[in-house]
Amino acid sequence: MHPRAGAPLSRRRFLALSAAGAGVGAAALNGCALQVSTGVSGAGETITVMAKADDLGPDLVKQAKKDTGISIKRVDYDITKLIAMLTSGSPPDLVRGVGAVDAAFYAARDVMQELDSYFATSSVLRPDDLDPVNDLWRYDGKVQGKGPRYGLAKDFSQDSMYWYNTAAFDKKHVAYPSETEPITFEEWLDHAQHLVQRSKGQTTVFGGSYNGLVKLTLMATMTASAGGSLFADDFTRVDFTTPEARKVLAWYLDYCRLKVGPSPVLPDPNGWDGPTYQAGRMAMSNNGYWMGGMIGADKKLAEVSRLAPAPVFAGGPRISACQGGTGMWMPRKARNKDAAWRVFEWFFGEAPAKARASSGWGIPSLKSLRSLMPHQEDFQKRTLSAQRNELKHFSVVAVSPYISGDGFESLFNQAATPAMHGEMSVDRLAGRLNSVINQQIKRGKEQVG
Amino acid sequence: MTVDQASSPAVGRPRPTAKTGRTRSTARTGPSMTTRKHRAFYMFASPWIIGFSLLTIAPMAYALWLSFTTYDGISPHWHYVGLGNYRELMGDSVTWDALGRAGLFALTSVPLSIIAGLALAVLVNRPLKARGLFRTLLYLPAVVPPVGAGIAFKNLFDQNSGAANGALTFFGFDAIGWLADPYARYVLVMTVLWAAGNIMIISLAGLQDVPRELHEAARIDGASAWRAFRSITVPLLSPVLLFQTVTGVIASVQTIMPMLLAPTAGTGGLTSIPQSNYTYMIHVFAEYFALGRYGYASALLWVLFLLILIATGLIFKFTSGVVFYNVDPEAQK
Repeated sequence: MHPRAGAPLSRRRFLALSAAGAGVGAAALNGCALQVSTGVSGAGETITVMAKADDLGPDLVKQAKKDTGISIKRVDYDITKLIAMLTSGSPPDLVRGVGAVDAAFYAARDVMQELDSYFATSSVLRPDDLDPVNDLWRYDGKVQGKGPRYGLAKDFSQDSMYWYNTAAFDKKHVAYPSETEPITFEEWLDHAQHLVQRSKGQTTVFGGSYNGLVKLTLMATMTASAGGSLFADDFTRVDFTTPEARKVLAWYLDYCRLKVGPSPVLPDPNGWDGPTYQAGRMAMSNNGYWMGGMIGADKKLAEVSRLAPAPVFAGGPRISACQGGTGMWMPRKARNKDAAWRVFEWFFGEAPAKARASSGWGIPSLKSLRSLMPHQEDFQKRTLSAQRNELKHFSVVAVSPYISGDGFESLFNQAATPAMHGEMSVDRLAGRLNSVINQQIKRGKEQVG
Repeated sequence: MTVDQASSPAVGRPRPTAKTGRTRSTARTGPSMTTRKHRAFYMFASPWIIGFSLLTIAPMAYALWLSFTTYDGISPHWHYVGLGNYRELMGDSVTWDALGRAGLFALTSVPLSIIAGLALAVLVNRPLKARGLFRTLLYLPAVVPPVGAGIAFKNLFDQNSGAANGALTFFGFDAIGWLADPYARYVLVMTVLWAAGNIMIISLAGLQDVPRELHEAARIDGASAWRAFRSITVPLLSPVLLFQTVTGVIASVQTIMPMLLAPTAGTGGLTSIPQSNYTYMIHVFAEYFALGRYGYASALLWVLFLLILIATGLIFKFTSGVVFYNVDPEAQK
């Protein structure tokens, strides 16, 4: 039965029409979403890059247009937005990522584009010129560090190293750590206890900060330094009860309980060490070479700053891994792969890469750009020398593809906070961490298949 | 075509002819006034209805569907688990602890902020000099974006360089770790009290509706100011207070302010929220975006939605005898 012309619209029919309208609207919106960067390649085209403004500012976007002829539409990096774009089938053409934790995670979920065929034909990014740090962006279906390449680091640091302020050491009459030979983690903590300055319940100078880049890579690299492995061989389990992992856990809990540096129980409102260290309120800061970019710009700070090797555990191997390797990757469903690759080459091998290499904000990820690292001033020479020495001990510490960096950190902090307050023993925490993290890994494994 | 005339409510309307189904009048002059009114109503209402369908009903239905799956946003092998996520959350102590913290936060922050807002409203309702300035200043925090408020509170309550500890140490007390356990919950409540200007402005509007003659009569009868406030002002303000209670409870169990008070912003900030501020919505956010458990997090949201409905129903039930609606009986006829 058809409604009579001119009859009042019934509520039922109105709702039916509204639902139809909603459906049409949804389809229209979806259509709009699909219009983002479609069907273009090479010069004169537009690609979407999801990155932070620090990585790709307006000046670089303009320079990209001038150098490659390709327009870049930058969208802010945001994990929630990235997942929405991946799910809707209109992903960015390039995405910022942290190689150490993102590469295996996304590659295992088949959302990353293998780039080997592009590297094979590139005259800018030649495989023999790639620094070993770029192996963080490789995944063979089981293990990180091997197999096809899925991305590249824009620069890197060995993130277990630390900076120290000689003025803070002088004030407390503590001998400077060597710039070539590592001290042990126990010695580092002992120094931090001597260097911390407190007054009326306030920490006026932190003895030292040691939180790594993210907990997942911090725990994995420290356990490797203790001579063990946090993960099972097939990466389907963690085990915090092994002697090596337990030693790491106990050390980190001591660090938190002693309140010598920022931690979940003693937060630093700056969110990272840079401003606190620059203000002379931190004697040691666990950051690698890249923080030299900030330190070098402040002449007074540069005079009293030294870069020291990654600490070791007594009897353990000397390991100095990169915990980040931040760079970019290309989604498998990117719509402008050729244009994206051209921008990728430009960003990692041409003018922006050279500018980054000479800025001191990280070690270039191409061997051929090493000569551009700043080495004119005393501070730069000294830092570069310490860094060159440390590079001999570089290694890739693989992590599980079945858990994300944020997921690990969230579960770790939630379980460990009572222990950081001294309300839970190390052994009980180790058991608790095994339980909650392995449960998450199991879910991840089921979903990866 | 037939028309069921017996059930037609259109008494007095022109009747349709059996042959064409059209009314005589519409055949000549187009749609009737009633039809045109209905059309106008639906035309005006339809943007909202379409928006509501697209932006509320559709996402809720989608979330309901997700809550029956193990979907994580990107992985290829998710599957339907029926009520599995709901069964899991029933036994998940982290979920119940987070809900308990959200409930505790609502129980403390809602009454405190209503009392503070009402007290401020009473103050600025008096004939003061520069009353407009006071009203503006007290309302101002309510319009500060939450992100800005979070940054301000983080700096104010920083253990080592914040003004709060500066004042404590000035008077010889030891500094307190405000942003860590167990004190972080107090800072969270303070952020709500700080923005009580919002409640003040609504209460002020309510106060100005209280008939002055009632207070004059009470004064003539010898009632004290407190008695008049208790027996006249509060009953007349009770619908406003009920509104503030309901919206306050809903807002407080959904607060994401703990994330803005965390040392690290964004998704990473989730990982550094003190346990005492790890409330239900923070747990939901962590399950969605840190752990990638879209199905489980959607189930959490649906359970919260139902709990809010129940809580709202209970508030209405238990306040039905004490809320006084000043309605003109003649107007109701």
